[in-house]
Amino acid sequence: MIDDEALDRQLREAVPYINDEGFTARVIARLPPRSEPRWLRAMIVLGLALLGTGIAYVVGGGHVVRAGIIEFANFPIWLLLVFAFGCGLVVGAFAVIFAIRKTPEVRDLTRLDF
Amino acid sequence: MELTDADLVARVLADDDQHAFGELVRRHQSSVRGLLRQLTRTDVALADDLAQEAFLRAYKHIRSFRGEARFSTWLYRIAYNCFREDARRRKELVGVDEDQWQAEHDPQTVDPGLRHDLMHALSLLPLHERTAVMLCCQNGLSHDEAARVLDIPLGTVKTNVLRGREKLKRTLAAWGPN
Repeated sequence: MIDDEALDRQLREAVPYINDEGFTARVIARLPPRSEPRWLRAMIVLGLALLGTGIAYVVGGGHVVRAGIIEFANFPIWLLLVFAFGCGLVVGAFAVIFAIRKTPEVRDLTRLDF
Repeated sequence: MELTDADLVARVLADDDQHAFGELVRRHQSSVRGLLRQLTRTDVALADDLAQEAFLRAYKHIRSFRGEARFSTWLYRIAYNCFREDARRRKELVGVDEDQWQAEHDPQTVDPGLRHDLMHALSLLPLHERTAVMLCCQNGLSHDEAARVLDIPLGTVKTNVLRGREKLKRTLAAWGPN
């Protein structure tokens, strides 16, 4: 009777290498189109934001911004503190959500399948 | 210097590098297609369709590959899941037509030669034993890796390999030791 080692060898040798014959090309052709690099997307968003701000400043004549800053500076100090604290909470919440989405170990707790 | 699978995966993750993914496909297409051809009992067209689906799924979900296992092990698991889903769709999963298939394929009609006899004997094994034997004996996965691929307990894999081997050896007894 054939022993385990010989059987395993025969099994390995019984499977010939399958030539690619265009298989890889067909897979690549079906891949979804590449998305733009993240840095490029970030730059586009930042550029558009700066452009919008510039346009708003020019169209508004600049005095709206100056008046806003002066009015803001006249707010009571406690209101400014509350405002700063609120901004911190919002930014912190976004940072936590972003970190969870970027951490596979945490993300996979809710999505264990492939 | 040739890049490792891990290097290529890292490139796909960092830059969505489709050339790197293409290299991964080139490296593993033979083993994945070979595995699926045997699971589908040499239905080449179906096996290749499933292999394509497996690679596309691997690309889509490559972020869930954490590098704890070999890339090939992860790929086999996806390929096996594709096969199972397709079999479920076709209502041909384990045992449904196993007896009928065996009855239609009389061992006496097999071409001569150990290779043919071996492949035929392998195709006659029940799916769970065939898959375990193919993964462990043919593709060189450890029992632990095969258990991950098949999502079954380690002990079950060992039993399936043992039983499959014994059946193959009994079927091929006439060939004697090589």
